Amino acid sequence: MFTFLEYILIAFYVAGLLIVSRWIGQQAFSWMPVQATAEAQRVDDLFSFLVSIGAFILLGLVGVIVYAIIFHRARQKDYSEGHSVRGDARIELLWTAVPTLLVLWIAFKGFSIYQQLNILGLQQIVHLHTPVESPAYATVANKPQPATETIDVFVKQWEWSFRYPNNLTSKELHLPVNRSTRLNLHAQDVIHGFYVSAFRLKQDIIPNRNIDIVLTPIRSGKYRLKDSQFSGTYFALMEADVYVEPLDTYNQWLTQTTANEPTQTKDWVVAESIQAHKTFFNSGWQTFIPASPAIAKERKVSNDT
Amino acid sequence: MQRRTIHIDESPIRLEKWRQYLPNWLKRFLPSGGGNAEDHHGKGIFGFVVFLLSESIVFLSFILTYVALRLTHTDWLPPGVKGPDLSTFVMINTVILLSSSFVIQPAENALRRNQLNKFRFLWLTTIAMGTYFLVGQGIEWSQLDFGLTTGLVGSTFYVLTGFHGLHVLTGVILQVTMLVRSFIPGNYNKGHFGASVTTLFWHFVDIVWVFLFSLLYLWQA
Amino acid sequence: MTHDSSINTDGELNNSSNESEQNWRRYFSFSTDHKVIGVQYMAMTFMFFLIGGLLAMIIRAELLTPEANVVDRPLYNGLFTMHGTIMIFLWIIPFNAGLANYLVPLMIGARDMAFPLLNAIAFWILPPAGLLLLSSFLLPNGTAQSGWWSYPPISLQVPPGYINGEFIWIVSLILIGISSIMGAINFLTTIFWMRAPGMTFFRMPVFVWSVMSAQLLQLINLPALTGALILLLFDLSLGTQFFKPLENGDPVIYQHLFWFYSHPAVYIMALPAFGIFAEVLPAFARNPLFGYRSVALATLGIALVSIFVWVHHMFTSATPNWMRMTFMVTSMLVAVPTGVKAFAWTATIWRSKLHLETPMLFAMGGATMFIFGGITGVMLAATPFDIHVNNTYFVVGHFHYVVFNTITMAIFAAIYFWFPKITGRMYSEGWGKLHFWLTFIPANITFFSMHPLGLQGMLRRISSYDPQYQGWNIIASLGAFLLGASTLPFIANIVGSWLYGPRAVNNPWHATGLEWITSSPPPRDNFEEIPIVKRPPYDYGDPKYSVLENSNNRD
Repeated sequence: MFTFLEYILIAFYVAGLLIVSRWIGQQAFSWMPVQATAEAQRVDDLFSFLVSIGAFILLGLVGVIVYAIIFHRARQKDYSEGHSVRGDARIELLWTAVPTLLVLWIAFKGFSIYQQLNILGLQQIVHLHTPVESPAYATVANKPQPATETIDVFVKQWEWSFRYPNNLTSKELHLPVNRSTRLNLHAQDVIHGFYVSAFRLKQDIIPNRNIDIVLTPIRSGKYRLKDSQFSGTYFALMEADVYVEPLDTYNQWLTQTTANEPTQTKDWVVAESIQAHKTFFNSGWQTFIPASPAIAKERKVSNDT
Repeated sequence: MQRRTIHIDESPIRLEKWRQYLPNWLKRFLPSGGGNAEDHHGKGIFGFVVFLLSESIVFLSFILTYVALRLTHTDWLPPGVKGPDLSTFVMINTVILLSSSFVIQPAENALRRNQLNKFRFLWLTTIAMGTYFLVGQGIEWSQLDFGLTTGLVGSTFYVLTGFHGLHVLTGVILQVTMLVRSFIPGNYNKGHFGASVTTLFWHFVDIVWVFLFSLLYLWQA
Repeated sequence: MTHDSSINTDGELNNSSNESEQNWRRYFSFSTDHKVIGVQYMAMTFMFFLIGGLLAMIIRAELLTPEANVVDRPLYNGLFTMHGTIMIFLWIIPFNAGLANYLVPLMIGARDMAFPLLNAIAFWILPPAGLLLLSSFLLPNGTAQSGWWSYPPISLQVPPGYINGEFIWIVSLILIGISSIMGAINFLTTIFWMRAPGMTFFRMPVFVWSVMSAQLLQLINLPALTGALILLLFDLSLGTQFFKPLENGDPVIYQHLFWFYSHPAVYIMALPAFGIFAEVLPAFARNPLFGYRSVALATLGIALVSIFVWVHHMFTSATPNWMRMTFMVTSMLVAVPTGVKAFAWTATIWRSKLHLETPMLFAMGGATMFIFGGITGVMLAATPFDIHVNNTYFVVGHFHYVVFNTITMAIFAAIYFWFPKITGRMYSEGWGKLHFWLTFIPANITFFSMHPLGLQGMLRRISSYDPQYQGWNIIASLGAFLLGASTLPFIANIVGSWLYGPRAVNNPWHATGLEWITSSPPPRDNFEEIPIVKRPPYDYGDPKYSVLENSNNRD
């Protein structure tokens, strides 16, 4: 089918592809946000692996197509056949079997990385139909206890709040570094999503279900928590600050803030409703506004201005 | 590159060969090789069976929703609600609906043999049985101690039985149409596609009821 | 617009009773001719494509800057909801139905669809349903605003009033679904029963195989969406509690039902596109489709596997681990039959005599970009990675690589390829090539930019974003505006060529396939005499380029 020279060329092509796709796979780490958890490193490893394989296939096929475009052009008005080969059972079997193995390999890799995430605590425990505002620790006892601390995450349209073990409630999420912390996720109205891109962690929060995640930040810094599941009009504003800090700083923050009033964070939603009508086009569509006292009070303010 | 002509009959999957072993009724619905454009009855029935397949998925989606909701709820019945009651009334209703399948089939067979009067009699009996079921279902609804919005039990019960009832109603309307058409002289001489389809539809409605009855009444909370 | 009764001067049409029908007015009538219905579908859906594209451009205008300053947030939410709904349910799926309507009877050698009346009814449900959906823009509180998934409970949170955008959305989607089911029944029956003598399954063109597989999916999976929408309507308007989490219901059940349809829906959209590639690539490569049988079986294989992959959309929806792992494997397995196709296309192009006319450019462009979209698809199936990029612009980018860069490109390839057959006139090649480059480059600019955004964590459906994301967003928006502009040369070309283009011969591409042996445009009953098929498809090795004995092909 091919001459000896062509086999050599093909070998060079494949070797070149392997080198280039390996290099692209290495670059993939830099496309991701910082790795703030141990889980993030595993996910990025997987991503790099997927990018390498993907680059190999993409460049391989595109290379063949581009080669054909350059060298296999027909002369004007030449409508004779290119070749009459209708297929080749061996090649067809090969390109069915190899992708199957490849895909199973990827799946195995995905599975093993997922298992590692499990050990690290990505495993979420779902409780069906426990009331949202149940005593925060009632359900903790019957679970495995890898985490040292449990923080309750309350989410509603359109704000986050966090309740710490000492009953402090804040609008900032503070986490001690290098320690696993259990987050008890509660949604009050609709489905929300807990997502910190630096943690590579995302979990939908379904009302009336108690969903736990355990995470272990390994890098101090300030991150952004975002709502990852569409939750209505001010969905885009549902962000909160996440501070990962050494344990003593964390404890200090806990005690100091307890003494003070709960931190006053800027309420983006309220700010938005005050500054309404600043868009180029205004539809005037009324939307659902949750009957929350905080927002109702602020809306009165907005009427005054 | 050597030139190799492939003849169609060296197909790796010898559909034609396998088709021989199918039962005749199935063979008819999997025509091979084409040239069946003139078989209007055949393609009509094929299309209708395909439609029923699709329709059964709507039922399946409702049924699975019901099963999933029920399995995840320990407090299925709201306080003070007994739920659907397996009374003799419901039993009689079910028996009548299910046995009507055994009436409509002989009716269709009679039509196939051109025994018009026998067809009309049996057909009318089926209509009566179907109507009895519908009326019975209405009475049953009015006597229940829960409404559409009474918890999940109400939502699922009324939507499932209501959707099925709509199908029974459609079946009865189809049956009445076919009966009326039997009085048009020569209507069934060219074929009895409408009656065949109605019969199929009626069997479908009955089979669905077997599942609904088991899930709603026999599965006691 | 001048009427085109002169089309008949082609001389190919001996049947003079058709003359009155060969008139543009028939496209506005209740016709049962599958060719008229096909054109009706295609023309109508293109209008919706323009509307959906306009909405996308407003969305991109909003995303030029981090702040929300072009449209207010409720309108923004309505815009992306309607953009998705229109593009999926009123552009790609019905366009494919229209193209298949036109081509399937011709390709299998039938005079019409199996149920012509049902066919016409199925089409005429769509314009009212589409207008109903659009009319919700006029409601005092606007359209549905919960995304095209319409997940409860957010979709059940509507301002007071019985007739609201969500209600209209559900009703029109149920109507469109009924129309699709009618179409699916018709297509399957046509393919099983109406084939010309000798047209066995393994002599059908791959396009017919792909229509068959896609319509099989419509039949099996679409009813699940209809069921879910009916229950959602009960929840919304009649006070039931199926999906209300605060009243015992379970919103995750809706997600299962929704994705049970909406994942295969991607294949319902993509399979006909793959079928188009399988027709166009061999014709312009002058090669038989490499591995025809494995490609045909892979088509069916994709359809079957895709029924069991839906949970990969719900990896973050509190699904249990076993489900995540099972569906990771099944989702990845889709890559196998899909890969078979991609390899077969490449092998068809290999050692060929390429003619790079506009349909071929679009087909090759679409096939190449599909490889990219397919690879990101396998990435998304890997659960740990998906958890990071789920609901981000990475998914949006991947999805648009499939629905725009692959499927819409394939649709353009199909329009150019069969334009001479449908209209009896040739399009302008220069304008076609201009359209290609104006589509291919901006499409890559727009949708590639979304991948880095998603990796960096920019979520979909947000109307304002962190300033760190602005760079790629500006690039994506500019690409999108160019993409919008690219439809102008296309419209000019199609309208101008349809009215004034040079007459087309029966088989301008020297292509195989039964549709090319009849006249351009085909007569009312498609063939003067029903052909008898004696040869396999893609018979480009045959000096006559003909699969028929009684062919009166001029070539």
